[in-house]
Amino acid sequence: MPNVTLVIDGQTVTVPAGTNIVDAARIAGIAIPVFCYHPKLKPVGMCRMCLVEVWTPKIDPATRQAVIGEDGRPVMTLMMGKLQPGCVTSVSDGMEVRTTTDRVRFAQKGQLEFLLTSHPLDCPVCDKGGECPLQNLTMQFGPSTSRFDYADKIHFEKPIRLGDLIYLDRERCILCSRCVRFQDDIAGDPVLGFDNRGRTWEIISKSDPPFDSKFSGNTTDICPVGALTTADFRFKARVWELRPTPSICPHCPVGCNISLDMRYDRLMRVMPRENDYVNEIWICDKGRFGMRFIESPERLRQPLIRKGDTLTPATWDEAIALIAEKLIAIRTHAGAAALGGLASPDLPNEDLYLFQKLFRQVLRSPNLDFCTGAPGEPAIIDLGATLGVGKGTNLSNLGAGTSVLVVGADPEEEAPLYVLRLRGIAARGGDLTIINPYPTKLDRTPARVIRPRAGAEAFVALALLKTLIEEELIAADFVTRRVQGFDELKMRLRNHSVASLCDAAGAPEDVVRSAAYAFAKADNGIIIYGRVALASGADLIDALADLALLTGHVGRPNNGVIPLIPGANARGALDMGVHPGAGKKRGLTAREMWAAAREGRLRGMIIAGMDPVRDNPAAAEALDALEFLVVQDIFLTETAQHADVVLPTASIAGREGTLTNAERRVQRFRQARIPEFNTPAGWDVAQRIARALIALGVKPTAPDGQGDGRGASRTLAKTAATTASSDQWDYAVAGDVADEIAATVHGYADTTYESLGLTRKPQWGRQPNEAIFYDGTSYENTEGVGVQIAAEADNPKATFTLRARVPPLFATNDAYPYTLLAAPRAYDGRAWSRDSKLLPRMVTPHLILNADDATALGIAPGGLVQIASEVGCAVLPAQIDRNLPRGLALMPDVDGAPLSRVQTGPLTRIAIMAHISETVGTR
Amino acid sequence: MSLIEKYGAEIESILARYPQKRSAVLPLLFIAQDEYGYLTDAAMREVADLLDMPPTDVFEVAGFYSLLYTQPVGRWVLQVCDDVPCAFCGAEDLIATLQEKLGIPVDQTTPDGMFTLQRVKCLADCDHAPVLQANLEYYHDLTTPEKVEAVLAELRQRAESGEKLSISGRYADR
Ligand code: SF4
Ligand code: SF4
Ligand code: FES
Ligand code: FES
Repeated sequence: MPNVTLVIDGQTVTVPAGTNIVDAARIAGIAIPVFCYHPKLKPVGMCRMCLVEVWTPKIDPATRQAVIGEDGRPVMTLMMGKLQPGCVTSVSDGMEVRTTTDRVRFAQKGQLEFLLTSHPLDCPVCDKGGECPLQNLTMQFGPSTSRFDYADKIHFEKPIRLGDLIYLDRERCILCSRCVRFQDDIAGDPVLGFDNRGRTWEIISKSDPPFDSKFSGNTTDICPVGALTTADFRFKARVWELRPTPSICPHCPVGCNISLDMRYDRLMRVMPRENDYVNEIWICDKGRFGMRFIESPERLRQPLIRKGDTLTPATWDEAIALIAEKLIAIRTHAGAAALGGLASPDLPNEDLYLFQKLFRQVLRSPNLDFCTGAPGEPAIIDLGATLGVGKGTNLSNLGAGTSVLVVGADPEEEAPLYVLRLRGIAARGGDLTIINPYPTKLDRTPARVIRPRAGAEAFVALALLKTLIEEELIAADFVTRRVQGFDELKMRLRNHSVASLCDAAGAPEDVVRSAAYAFAKADNGIIIYGRVALASGADLIDALADLALLTGHVGRPNNGVIPLIPGANARGALDMGVHPGAGKKRGLTAREMWAAAREGRLRGMIIAGMDPVRDNPAAAEALDALEFLVVQDIFLTETAQHADVVLPTASIAGREGTLTNAERRVQRFRQARIPEFNTPAGWDVAQRIARALIALGVKPTAPDGQGDGRGASRTLAKTAATTASSDQWDYAVAGDVADEIAATVHGYADTTYESLGLTRKPQWGRQPNEAIFYDGTSYENTEGVGVQIAAEADNPKATFTLRARVPPLFATNDAYPYTLLAAPRAYDGRAWSRDSKLLPRMVTPHLILNADDATALGIAPGGLVQIASEVGCAVLPAQIDRNLPRGLALMPDVDGAPLSRVQTGPLTRIAIMAHISETVGTR
Repeated sequence: MSLIEKYGAEIESILARYPQKRSAVLPLLFIAQDEYGYLTDAAMREVADLLDMPPTDVFEVAGFYSLLYTQPVGRWVLQVCDDVPCAFCGAEDLIATLQEKLGIPVDQTTPDGMFTLQRVKCLADCDHAPVLQANLEYYHDLTTPEKVEAVLAELRQRAESGEKLSISGRYADR
């Protein structure tokens, strides 16, 4: 867009045409006060706080030329003879804006006097007090007295619940509609609205449950007054008493930047920190309200040692000594291969790194995994290390010219912030294709929706590939230079037409073709895949890789693949080498470990931060067959109850570390408080065990596997880490571990805490001191925005081989006519939800069925259904969804869901029947 | 019986008038209001469902317009304009008369469920001030208690005659 030059308060500013006056002034460092306008929202001109004088050159209607006055300068006229709202008035050439004249000051004063006519002025008991734009602007621009009758203020019942998380104080609301617009435009959950008119105008929410949105907390940030407050923070603290600690949300692969706002050692609230690369200024409710587990009274406080049937408290020395002794004993009589370790993909890099180092170098066992080995758990197939989005990717800049394929994923449940990011891309003109066997909330975004049969997603990807080939949409130059096996791929697809592949997928051919066209023609192409894609397996994911390769959408910023692998730090677990394929010698997978334990081949295990028994009660039997089990966790989980030694660790608040997000951005979180109950960080637990082993004479070996991070890579020969790492085990602080990670782990060279600290950025779009927009909204990012690690494809010399092939169709089975899929749920009721205000929203186990299927089976909503597969059966309440495809049944993967009883794999053939006539309530 | 079961044809023909379903929200609310007597919570959700609209949006519409009632009303809703021109021509007297004759204050319904009395702003009929609107029908120049009495009698008689009344004006022949 062409630029426009104008003058604001005597300063000459040049901005893109179409910019509004408030934004133009911000660029010049001039703050025009606003209430309804927010830089992340479209302007609506509702509050009139931004009134300014706008002077434009007078135009002679006859000549259409500016009229020149006697002084030789253009004659200026006041636009429409009155003040104009700056937020909805676009700049034009030669314009002159005055924001500090008497007329403007008079208007601002009057505007505030009006706004305050109905305002209760209860700042002393208002949670917003201290970070309230209304307070601040009144101090700066408002009148000192009011001419309105104080007794005539309108009164409403003091806060009412807008939902179970958010309270509304209608007296304080200035009706700016920021909250409504956030929900409609940014979150895509249109659950807020205005009721009535005039003085009884008020915000309402009539969704079921009320204010049904996973992003509701953000409205309390952008509300410019204390009208919206959270159930979580109400009356907890005055904001100026808080000590904000930069942190990273540990709940999903997005890695939102957050602030843990502490008063002394207590967590008062969680707020977003600005990071345009990751979460802009937003976080989801799981991140905001799901952090109370930190202070749960059920936290483990001290080590426990099994004495007969009970776990009894012990000292750290006793526990570590016992662990060292037992592990050595097992290694001596059964060999190192009889030891195995599972570590949660939620743990920070430092913990995961030392965990695998303990196993690979000290215990010399390659049996490491971050999976739980439950029967329905899909294999983790990672394209992030090889074809991940290029270094420098920033989704918040993308729009027109970008095409995104979201394949087999439900971002709202798996990585909520991606809903906002993807909606943003669509709103800025980007092209979105959603390929998923069942409807998700992302479908509300303007997008092409392709609904393949469950398990047949690969055929859509193949149809896209075939379209690329047929319509010559290949990035020929890229393919020649960096891709191998194109002719072979063409051969493999030779006997298949786009139509036949679409047919196999149950997808409309024209939509598939237009998706292929849009993706190939876009400047930037991104593929996001998630849990359902993993369930579909390698046939799909290999085809997705080929899509990215044939279109050349890899190896550049804003191009590539974003895998949503379950866990906040699955990326880190892969990179650190906590998986069986990372070393020279292949180890056992979690599932193989369970079998090995039952057969007596695996004798001792350490399980860190993971609760496999919860997902898979059958694992309990395997654990009980072990000679020795160590569980390290913050709670006494079901798994921990089977342990011989239980070790408590610090939560994310009690230590520091780094997490690597889905886009391979390594981000540091800071320690917010002294460790709860003096518990150590996970990395220190590994260190204590290693030291004890070494003290008993165990000799560490050379590194193998750690830092490979490419164990799951399909295209590169396995190269074990070559750099030597310290075998001293003398890490004093997390930064020491991070230094070693930087020195040894492939790609992590720039991730020492020093270099992460250097990534501080001037705030995006935020000028210094912009309280007017950002007060109470989000914190400036003072900790740095993190470092994105290059993908293999970022190396211009790396070449890749095409792998796509046409798989057999997923076999049908007349005895088991339905397909069961586990559906991820953000509100899964697991350990993080303890003491959370979100508890009422936790999803309870149920089965979701198509309406016609339910009718045919005689199942009413809430009625009980019995499901049976080849391996087992279960009874649970039914929920009916008229939009679910026939033949598909979804079981939300939540606490207590009997998935592992029936699943034979990620996709399971089941039979469904009504279970007696009894009904129970479902949500 | 649900609206779609009872008024399927009427609803279909309304929907056919608009390129977007949600544009039909007002006519559908009128049907719901006539059917249920006023817009109950459930009625608004039913309309939202018919139009694939978020329920909140339907409640917003109902809250905005003074001809959509979210509280129970009588068979005749009497709306008296109390805006400036009508006020000059005796609107307050008219309201006082109505209150007296009906025996109810503003915003209440007579115990027999016949009349609801409301104040509204300009009804765009200022040249005949003071103005009374009864279910979308205008009554002008109600400057004496006798005239008011006559109108009330007429309205009562029409209701009792079995005439099909609509608080939404759906059956008004104009
Ligand atoms: S609740 Fe807050 S954000 Fe919403 S309209 Fe009122 S003042 Fe604005
Ligand atoms: S989107 Fe993910 S990382 Fe961000 S706040 Fe929510 S759970 Fe946390
Ligand atoms: S009218 Fe411009 S900020 Fe509200
Ligand atoms: S003022 Fe009463 S009708 Fe206009």
